Parts: sequence; C-alpha cells; structure tokens
Amino acid sequence: MFMVLALVVGIVLGVVLEPTVPVALQPYLPIAVVAALDAVFGGIRAQLDGIFDDKQFVISFISNVLVAGMIVYLGDKLGVGGQLSTGVVVVLGVRIFGNVAAIRRHLFRA
Amino acid sequence: MSAPQRFEPDFLTELFRDPLDPAYAAAARRRAGRGPEPSWLRATGRTVSVLTVALVGFLFAVAYRHVVAGEPESSRTRAGLVGEVRAKQAESDEMQRTAEALRADVDRQRAALQGGEFDRIRNLSAAAGLGRVRGDGVVVEVRDAPVETDPLTGRPRTDNPGRVLDRDLQTVVNGLWAAGAEAVAINGQRLSSTSTIRAAGAAILVDFKPVASPYAVTAVGPGDLDRRFDKSTTGQQFRALTRRYNMGYSIRKQDNLTLPAATDPQLRFAHRPGESVPSGGPTPSTTPSGGR
Repeated sequence: MFMVLALVVGIVLGVVLEPTVPVALQPYLPIAVVAALDAVFGGIRAQLDGIFDDKQFVISFISNVLVAGMIVYLGDKLGVGGQLSTGVVVVLGVRIFGNVAAIRRHLFRA
Repeated sequence: MSAPQRFEPDFLTELFRDPLDPAYAAAARRRAGRGPEPSWLRATGRTVSVLTVALVGFLFAVAYRHVVAGEPESSRTRAGLVGEVRAKQAESDEMQRTAEALRADVDRQRAALQGGEFDRIRNLSAAAGLGRVRGDGVVVEVRDAPVETDPLTGRPRTDNPGRVLDRDLQTVVNGLWAAGAEAVAINGQRLSSTSTIRAAGAAILVDFKPVASPYAVTAVGPGDLDRRFDKSTTGQQFRALTRRYNMGYSIRKQDNLTLPAATDPQLRFAHRPGESVPSGGPTPSTTPSGGR
C-alpha cells in the first residue's frame, strides 16, 4: 500500500519538479528505466512469493541501475554501446517477462 | 572426503527457468534460520524501500518527460522551416505583384509619351516575356504517375519511373515553341528566353521557384497549336510515356488565356547612369538553359 503511494508520489514529484537531465546522463536514462522495471517486478514477485526483503530490493535496484549504466558506458567507450545496450535490454527483458508471468500465475492462478 | 562437485546450470538457463533474483530466497532462508529481525531494523528497511520506490516513480516520470520533450523537437524545427519558406514565398509573390503594377505604370507613361512607337515596344516586350499576354491557346497537362505500393511491404515505392522530370517539362516547352507558341507558362510561371527549368532533388524549379505535379503548361499561339503539338515528336513521345509509365498527359484548347509577365531579367551589361557597372558577370538566374 505504502509502496503504491510512494510510486505515485515519485511520479508526481517528477512531473511537478520538471527536472532537466544532464546531457552526460541522457544516454543512460532508457537503460536505467528498464533496470528499475526489473527491480520493481522482481520485488512484486518476491512479495507475492512471501519472501520480500527490503534490503535485497534496495540493493537490487541500485546495483541494477549502476551495472546497466556501467555496461552501456563501457560499451560506448569500446564502440559497441548499441550492442551492449541490446544485451542488457534482452537479459532484463527476459527477467521482467519471467517475473510478470510468475505474478500473473499468483494473481490469476493461470 | 568432500561432497561431489555440483555444477550449477549456466546463467542463461537459470535466467529462463527462474527469473527471480536468487538472493530473495537466500535472504528468506537466512531469516528463517536466525529468527525475526529487531523491529527498528525492519522499520528502517521499509523506509528505505519506500524511498527507493519513490525514486523509481521519479525516474519513470523524468524518462517519460524526456522522451516526450525530445520527440517534437525535430517536428517543431520542420514546422518552423516550412513557415519560413511560406512567408518568403508570399513575400516574393508580393514583390512580383508590385513589379507588375510598376511595369504597367511604366507602360502607361510610355504610351502617353511616344504614341506609335509604344505598340512596337509592347509587342516586343510581350514576345520577350516582359509583358502580360492574353490570347487563345492550349493547356498541356503533365502529371506524375500514381505512386505504386510495394506488394511486399505495403509501403509506397521510392522509385517512380513515371515521375515527371525537369527534362520532360523542357521537352514540352520546346515542343510548344517549335509548334509556334508565342508565350509559354508553367503553372502560371511565365517563361522568357532566359528562363530555367531545372531539378533540385525531387523538385522541379522554374526560374528558381518550385512547381509541383500536375504541371499545367499553358501556351498562347496559333489556332492549330494543339494539333501541331500533338502530331509532333514531342506529342508522340508523351503518348508513349503515358502508355509505358502511366504518366498523365493531356492537351486541350483553351480560349482567353492570360499569361503573366516573367520575372525581370537582371541587367548584365547595361547599367543606370551614375551607378557602377554590375559586378559578377552573368548571374545564375539568367543562365540560358530553358531548353537543352
């Protein structure tokens, strides 16, 4: 309940404050969003499995975003930024799909 | 003796089988082994979680705004450019109208001064494209073939062999001159002896002003102009193009056509007394390449 409220508050803050993203960070924004989605769906799945852990959730979010950003940064420096971002998106996408499938089984028993 | 070594399934197999971070299960096992944590620790963890979720929401909103703000940037630039082009075109049309009015004024004053000589000048300037011309003639309409859609992708094909090229318009105009036309205009743009018909990318420019399909080439000339043009090699060529590439071509007689004056040719050698000699020699806009 608090979580949903916090999400809404975060979105409202983002809309109201109208922050500008520094140019240097702009390429990492999409990847960060995908990483955050992965952490959120992982958290929801764990909650439904009854094994949610606050520390684990926070650390998974932060490390997901940082590692994804670092991989893209490294890829940019090596000249394979596009391909590495694709790799990150594929791996995180598979995890998101799997977790959403598990959530679906929990919620609809199907 | 140590336990036999167990090989974990590789990362991708594990990822597809159970996408949940295994650390959640590990943490749950630890908790079960150690008993519940103290309440202050749990409260702190919960607070940090809530803050993280708020951060996630913030991130989503920022990313969304970023994408939405970035998208119309390009279309805004385009709209601005289109508006600028339209404004400049209107300005140029306005100046053209002013020039025409002034020219009519000059004609009137000349008529008042010179009497008989005036008719000769007027006829000459009409032939040279400097004066408005009214009379009977023909309208030759040429249009691009309809764009075919690619049967595989369903998208319009990029190459259209039935597209009207600058060369086609040049051929029509030259054919009309050859058939005895006295004055020719394309889409209302009068041609003079130094007019240009050129391609710039996909657009056709007549005297540096773009014209678009369908192209109406109007010509004032003798009564049998349409027959003469249609029987000429040019007419035959265009009928063949119609059959082969589906290009649109038609010719019809029309009475009482009015063709405007062409844009004033820039003076190349003459100059007003007291002014310096025009520099730069022939300017591109007066390069004679109306034909081939």
